[in-house]
Amino acid sequence: MNDEIKSNAEELVNYIMKKCLWQFHSRTWDRKRQNEHILDMTARMIYGEEIKPTTPEEKCYWADAMCLMEAFNNHFGWLQKMDRAKKEAVMTALKDRIDFLTVTGSLNLELTDTHY
Amino acid sequence: MPYHLFKCSECIPEREKHAVIKGKGEDISMALPLGYLNTIPGTISERGCAYCGAKHVIGTPMKDVIHLSHGPVGCTYDTWQTKRYISDNDNFQLKYTFASDMKEKHIVFGAEQLLKKNILDAFAAFPNIKRMTIYQTCASALIGDDINALADEIMEENPDVDIFVCNSPGFGGPSQSGGHHKINIAWINQKVGTVDPKIDADYVINYVGEYNIQGDQEVMMDYFKRMGIYVLSTFTGNGSYDDLRAMHKAHLNVLECARSAEYICNELRVRYGIPRMDIDGFGFEPLSASLRKISLFFGIEERALAIIDTETARWKPELDWYKARLMHKKVCLWPGGSKLWHWANAIHEEMGVDVVSVYTKFGHQGDMEKGISRCEEGALAIDDPNELEGLEAMETLQPDIIFTGKRPGEVAKKIRVPYLNAHAYHNGPWKGFEGWVRFARDIYNGIYSPIHQLSLLDISKDEIPTDQGFVTNRMLSDANLSEEVRNDPNLHPYTGNYDNVSHLRNKKYPEFPRAEKDTSVA
Ligand code: SF4
Repeated sequence: MNDEIKSNAEELVNYIMKKCLWQFHSRTWDRKRQNEHILDMTARMIYGEEIKPTTPEEKCYWADAMCLMEAFNNHFGWLQKMDRAKKEAVMTALKDRIDFLTVTGSLNLELTDTHY
Repeated sequence: MPYHLFKCSECIPEREKHAVIKGKGEDISMALPLGYLNTIPGTISERGCAYCGAKHVIGTPMKDVIHLSHGPVGCTYDTWQTKRYISDNDNFQLKYTFASDMKEKHIVFGAEQLLKKNILDAFAAFPNIKRMTIYQTCASALIGDDINALADEIMEENPDVDIFVCNSPGFGGPSQSGGHHKINIAWINQKVGTVDPKIDADYVINYVGEYNIQGDQEVMMDYFKRMGIYVLSTFTGNGSYDDLRAMHKAHLNVLECARSAEYICNELRVRYGIPRMDIDGFGFEPLSASLRKISLFFGIEERALAIIDTETARWKPELDWYKARLMHKKVCLWPGGSKLWHWANAIHEEMGVDVVSVYTKFGHQGDMEKGISRCEEGALAIDDPNELEGLEAMETLQPDIIFTGKRPGEVAKKIRVPYLNAHAYHNGPWKGFEGWVRFARDIYNGIYSPIHQLSLLDISKDEIPTDQGFVTNRMLSDANLSEEVRNDPNLHPYTGNYDNVSHLRNKKYPEFPRAEKDTSVA
């Protein structure tokens, strides 16, 4: 990953960590599920895809993803100007970094508790 | 991020892993305070017990219930009326608290019969109240009284009453947080699913982790009603016992205080497939995003946007008046559990203050992950601080104000640091757009109080100026402002009413046509 992609992704990571709560659900499996669905939907909308959620679960991910996509477009003008390949690189780096901060690199000892 | 050992805690070296300074370019994967652990012997914690967490924080904001503690009267008394969770039924749950009043002889001979008599007496004294919660305490847990069996017996003998038993004695966890957990799980196991509600609405939510402090819940209900959203239950502020038995029928759980109530949302998701949406009711931007998210979920976005536009236009000039005067004031954000992350970023961005420290009395590491992520570099994050650490932090950081509970708050006052009550508020509600301005006003009044300025003089040694008149808070706050900001015609201080909640109780709301007539829910 080149430095530009990395620093672009870091700006988006910083936004999520300051403004969002969905990445901090209680357990490892919840955080993985949240990150996967919300960031996947956000990325697809950034690429221009339309998403039509049907189940309540999908609608919940989508609502967070919509707000995130709009915030990214509003606050980080450079994102919309990128070509698809660069956008994909940034969004992949973003997902990896959020997974690291909230799951694989998290120091939270409660994440693996088997009960809620 | 370096861990931080307070000088006063050098004799308790384990404390080092409970405090972290957020360094430049550092993140939560590098250091995270330990949390939700038993308080280390020798450190005088400011925490409450697990009974208090269950009864005082979560159970008793339920409004139409006799709340009875099975134990010595002290447990009950000390968890009574110290949090302002008001209700729209004349504050029944605040006015009255009930205790079985166990004495030494009951410890020896048992207290079940005493409890039974108390339960029947309480129902007889308030014949209109047919719901009861009973809270175990250390004493009744240790002697092994079977409260559940007794409750079953009474419900069988009196079919019109319903009783919930919460077995969360004081020793049932490291802090009040253990009690939050226990009562969440007990409620879903015992009560959710035992009432089948008649719902005539398209958009149905449970509003979870909201305790109606000085009317917070009623302010948020106003927005939900204006959006045509039906709030089936509130867990638990201003909430109704029977509504909470029907939580399984909502379409969405809107979760405010994840620290105290994420457990029930997680279980409702797993057992009933109801999604969990975490929101922030504090701060213009976070609240706007939260209302939008909820409206997107239901496909009624324009209704949320109308509220956001109206409220922002009405209140933003007032918020900005305070922001200009609070710029770079140093704040120690020292609440119980969730407000460190609800507020850390919003007060910095929207009120201009600098959060120099966050702490949590009973939070878990998840709260620290959120709180540290949301505050700026240089902030000191502390888990379960003791009183001496709090004093040392204030002496080092020199905050202009701290937001905390009343016990550490009174300590702060003694060293001339003003405090706002983060748990029960000063002139709340602080939720909602108007509420956020009320919070800013309280901060302003705290920092610029002329009385506080006078308290900085020590009459035993300082020279007391006799050639100065009394100054007002405005003279203090505006002294260093530019002419342009001071006289900005677009900004002005708070113009709302003393009571901004009561009028909501009689407010008429628009009727939205039903999108579909099917009353079954997802
Ligand atoms: S720790 Fe035990 S005795 Fe003390 S208030 Fe809590 S329940 Fe009562």
